[in-house]
Amino acid sequence: MIAFLNRRPWVVTLASIVLVLAAWAVATYTGAVSDLLLPTPDELWDGAADLVLNGYKGYSLGGHIGLSLMRVGLGFGLGTIIGTLLGLGMGVSSKLDALAAPYIEFLRPLPQLAYLVLLIIWFGIGETPKIVLLFLAALPVSAVAARDGVRNVSPQRVLAARSLGANRWQIFCHVVLPSALGDIFIGARLSIGIVYATLIAAEMIAGASGIGWLILDAGRFLRSDYVIAGILIIAAMGIALDRGLIFAQRRIVHWAGK
Amino acid sequence: MSDISGIGRRKLLAGAAGLGLAASLPIGRASAADATTINIAYFVETKPTAIAKAKGWFEQEANAKINWIEVGSGAQINAGVVGGGIDIGIGIGSSPSASGISQGIPYKVIGMLDNIGPAEEMTVRAAANIKTPADFKGKKIATPFGSTSHFRLIGFLKTNNLSLSDVTVLDLPPDQIVAAWKRGDIDGAYVWSPAKAEILADGGEVYETYKELDDKGYVIADLIIARNGFAAAHPDAVTGILRAYGKALSYWQTNPDDAAAIVGQATGVSAAVAAANMKEYDFVPQKEQLTAAWLGTPGNPGAFAAELQHTAEFLVGQKSIRRALKLPAYQKGIDTSYLEKAVA
Repeated sequence: MIAFLNRRPWVVTLASIVLVLAAWAVATYTGAVSDLLLPTPDELWDGAADLVLNGYKGYSLGGHIGLSLMRVGLGFGLGTIIGTLLGLGMGVSSKLDALAAPYIEFLRPLPQLAYLVLLIIWFGIGETPKIVLLFLAALPVSAVAARDGVRNVSPQRVLAARSLGANRWQIFCHVVLPSALGDIFIGARLSIGIVYATLIAAEMIAGASGIGWLILDAGRFLRSDYVIAGILIIAAMGIALDRGLIFAQRRIVHWAGK
Repeated sequence: MSDISGIGRRKLLAGAAGLGLAASLPIGRASAADATTINIAYFVETKPTAIAKAKGWFEQEANAKINWIEVGSGAQINAGVVGGGIDIGIGIGSSPSASGISQGIPYKVIGMLDNIGPAEEMTVRAAANIKTPADFKGKKIATPFGSTSHFRLIGFLKTNNLSLSDVTVLDLPPDQIVAAWKRGDIDGAYVWSPAKAEILADGGEVYETYKELDDKGYVIADLIIARNGFAAAHPDAVTGILRAYGKALSYWQTNPDDAAAIVGQATGVSAAVAAANMKEYDFVPQKEQLTAAWLGTPGNPGAFAAELQHTAEFLVGQKSIRRALKLPAYQKGIDTSYLEKAVA
């Protein structure tokens, strides 16, 4: 039996999911748990279907998802690109590192909600403060990852390239960058996680759109059906984003870990 | 075998729940008789409740210890009562109360704090030259979603045939409304003081909507609610809470200057600002709350139940709650028996 399960872990996964779903159905249909705390499966289904068919307060469901993805995409994209460039620079030049490190180290552990109101004062209530918030979440993580990636390049490789007559630029492009790419991708995956976790905070700013705002707004009225439907959607989006990055990592850094 | 493990698990759960409860109480449990601790949710606001709180009248009249829980929205009170962590909610708005009763949250309205009247009102930028409802087209108006102000704002748009594509309605909490106003990002806001007073002082002017909206059934009020389980176990404490508020109301009427100073100190504004804010609210005297115009008496429900029902129907239209109930459900959602005893 145990050997059978060891060979087929998906059976355990499946059994666990079936068990949780069954417990949910029993708890809600028998009335043991009020629908304020947890909707019944068909209430959740109706709530989700209503979101799909009729949208939520001014936007279609696709509109909410699209706006959230646009914010995550811009914040993560800009933050990761600029953070990575900065980190590469910091890895190569100790002067740039000394210059930028205090800000990066300051920003990295800072909870984003701490400066939320400042962003509204500085950037208003449109898309800009939301994207800036996500950008600031992504930037320090990818900068540190890229810097460490450069520092982790084995000196032997650099020396070998130099002894073969490569100049600094060639060494950077053909030795340092490829070696650091693994770390850069690990940083990107970390950063998309953080950006994604910050999305709800970003959509707290003068919302009325986005999947994070939808969850917050439905929560205000204890609409557990919309809240759980929203959570399932946001989770699926998160998994898809992470898988997308893993796919890109395998295509681009196919040598990593080999 | 399965029986034993079943009992064991149940005991374990009960024990864990007990531990959680004990941990949530501020001090270790005293003897059963005098151990009443009331978990009261309240707002920091310029109202006579601040007097009763500062003078310790709630503790005195309810003969209990009070664990004060500051909240920022009625939605938090609803969630807190569902979770059992809130026994009394002071100052919950009529919109969250209507949604709570509709959703079967186990509490009842036991009294009113105030009829909001002009205390929550539309404030527009004087420079934007907004004089008629049509002038709102293309403007950005902010309000905290789910609040009584939000209810009034949507009511204003509806009664003037303005749609959400004509006017951009933004969801902002009061402090962020002030920030957005200062930057010039919004043309107006429907909100209460101190945010309202701040933007009025910064180039804002009142665009009066409340009289017309009150006539059309968009009455908004602040209420006091009590969790059913708590009220059944401690009816005298519930009456005491209402009596303490009644005492504060008459103190405000007889000693307005001293009252304003206490309220100002409790809320962090000057006595003058506190007095000005309090003048905007209609603090309906408790005896008047028991008339047909408001809550009525036990067995003779007043007109306010219909306001709650109207609010609930509106919230259904907004997709905020699943369903509104029939009028008797809202009449049952108001229990005036404690108030009757408190004023006797």
